[in-house]
Amino acid sequence: MTTKRGALYLAALATLMVVATACSMSDSPGGMGTAGAAMTEPGGNDWTTYHGSYRSWHYSPLTEINADNVKRLKVAWVHHPGRSTRGLQSMPLVQDGVLYYTGSYSRVWALDAATGQPRWSYFPKLNDDLVAAQTHSPYTRGIAIGHGKVFVGTVDGRLIALDQKTGQPAWDTKLVNSEKLTVGFTGAPLLVKDKVIIGAQGGEWPGRGPIFGVDAASGKKVWEFLTVAGTEEAKKTWGGESWKTGGGGGWMAGAYDAETNTVWWGTGNPAPLYDWAGGDWKTSGPRPGDNLYTTSVIALDPDTGTLKFYHQELPHDAWDFDSAVGEFVMLDREGKKLVVHPNKGGHVFVYDRANGKVVNVWQLTKNINFVKGIDPKTGALIGRRDLPLGKHTNLCPAIAGGMSWNSGAYNPKTGLYYKIGQEWCMDLEVIKTTPVLEPQAQLDIGANFTLRNPEGGKAHGHLSARDPVTGDKKWEVTFPEPPLASLLATGGNLVFVPDPRGMLRAYDANTGKELWSHNNGIGHNGGIISYAAKGKQYVAVATGWGSLVGDEFGALFGEPYKSMPKDVGALVVFTLE
Amino acid sequence: MQRLLVAVVIALPVVTAPLPARGQSPPADQTETAEQIFVNTCGFCHQAGGRVAGRGPKLAGTERPDEYLINRIRLGKEGAMPAFGRAFTESQLRALVEYIRSLKDDAR
Repeated sequence: MTTKRGALYLAALATLMVVATACSMSDSPGGMGTAGAAMTEPGGNDWTTYHGSYRSWHYSPLTEINADNVKRLKVAWVHHPGRSTRGLQSMPLVQDGVLYYTGSYSRVWALDAATGQPRWSYFPKLNDDLVAAQTHSPYTRGIAIGHGKVFVGTVDGRLIALDQKTGQPAWDTKLVNSEKLTVGFTGAPLLVKDKVIIGAQGGEWPGRGPIFGVDAASGKKVWEFLTVAGTEEAKKTWGGESWKTGGGGGWMAGAYDAETNTVWWGTGNPAPLYDWAGGDWKTSGPRPGDNLYTTSVIALDPDTGTLKFYHQELPHDAWDFDSAVGEFVMLDREGKKLVVHPNKGGHVFVYDRANGKVVNVWQLTKNINFVKGIDPKTGALIGRRDLPLGKHTNLCPAIAGGMSWNSGAYNPKTGLYYKIGQEWCMDLEVIKTTPVLEPQAQLDIGANFTLRNPEGGKAHGHLSARDPVTGDKKWEVTFPEPPLASLLATGGNLVFVPDPRGMLRAYDANTGKELWSHNNGIGHNGGIISYAAKGKQYVAVATGWGSLVGDEFGALFGEPYKSMPKDVGALVVFTLE
Repeated sequence: MQRLLVAVVIALPVVTAPLPARGQSPPADQTETAEQIFVNTCGFCHQAGGRVAGRGPKLAGTERPDEYLINRIRLGKEGAMPAFGRAFTESQLRALVEYIRSLKDDAR
């Protein structure tokens, strides 16, 4: 769908969808404004949900800043939230001229979106001893807004609602026993009608990775779906008692298909991360079986938490290539309603939105050898490389993945999907460890590993512009190190890439030509959005460095990463001069 | 160097001996060596079993004293390393240090 006719078709369809959905959603979560419609399709002035809209395009239709004038983009204002441990990883939200975002330690700010002047702030009191014990912390990647509230998860396992006008807490609900399990919430919640949906961390942490549906008005937990053995069918895919400590989780925000009333969510890898059973994983090892619903995309009823359907992208994931990463890009093409979802292993899955059936699978990154391939018609893995006890060399991609947690972007005008790929590999030694039989405050890894360059080349990253359904590549730009931040596409024919060295770059969406750049002085591994306030368009980007992926850069790439601070970060906002 | 060699010689029998499994009240049948504890937990950042730098620094050949290492494991470092004081027993902490001392420092 790279033709002009295709783009016009999509634009017209999008307009119809906005009108139809706005009219049909009697329980729209808009609250203070028009968030209900804006959540369903990319909004005009606002950015009201983590992925930009339920369609997860990370796209703003605004055109004031465009390929012709982007050279005049200048810093409008900067906000320093303080105590930015591991940098700012937040995706800001904007509604009716107010920008909301989170700093580390689940701190929430509301700022005038045109000037950056604070309206209010909220710093939750956290269990400091618990936070100190967490590996994946203390960043908070985003919030949800609606019904006159701002919703934020905390790293100590709570979901908090704040009054959108004052920042005063409306309710504070403890959902995860983080004191026992260590994990809490770092991902953004998703507001769907009257429910706030949020997934806990999991993966290599021994637990059962819950996703919760919470009543937005009262804070009462309405449902809980366990991504590890959440149904009787799933429990049969875990040998012995391994289902008790299987990992999973849904640590990044999912998306919502309003037409079918379905929430799409990606799930984390199973624990232990590596499995000494190797090729005998179906019958032996620490977690025999397929390990449902880990490393899967699952479709839930937002009202009840009932599983509608699922697809396990990597049965018995033995590589930490989970499905919790990755946006759910919802597209309508030639009468088909599709969703595009990248998996951490480097493949992109295309599904039928009605039933989760695989429509296509394509490969984004070049260095993949954990499988020989994935059947594009069924999604079945071809030629798995399971890893028995002992040493293994040149496993690709490395544990950090062919793609990471931050999002790509889709532009309905160009019909192109913009996504970062990561090219790196690793050597590892799988070691037999004692199975963890009870959920506890410990990682469960099962191997020693070292990241390395791919054979015959250097580790690097790339931005490519592709047809989201076929994977056909239109253009590509390479980077000496993989960018880790989210991307932004705009109606002004631009793609923004916040890079790891600290440069924010803007590219022509059709050609990949670099049009503008600005040095923010520190790497990026957070969010980026565009919005309008008081008649002007802005681009807001989170700056700051440090994460379980970014922390690899010093050893692998040297400077500037060896000396890059991991305790600073700011929200930097741009507009035309 | 001589002091390090002595430490390694003393440490090796301890490193390979089974330890109580992770957690405060482990079942009697759960045992782990210090190497297994390291691979499951510490190796996520201290790569190749602590022999090379990765997310965390290389540990082989460290000249930090035992008490420094134990305190760092116990208390962590904000934004860089989790605190494992509530996860490991004193004997496990000491065994981890002994494991670190046993690592051959190929870079020397």
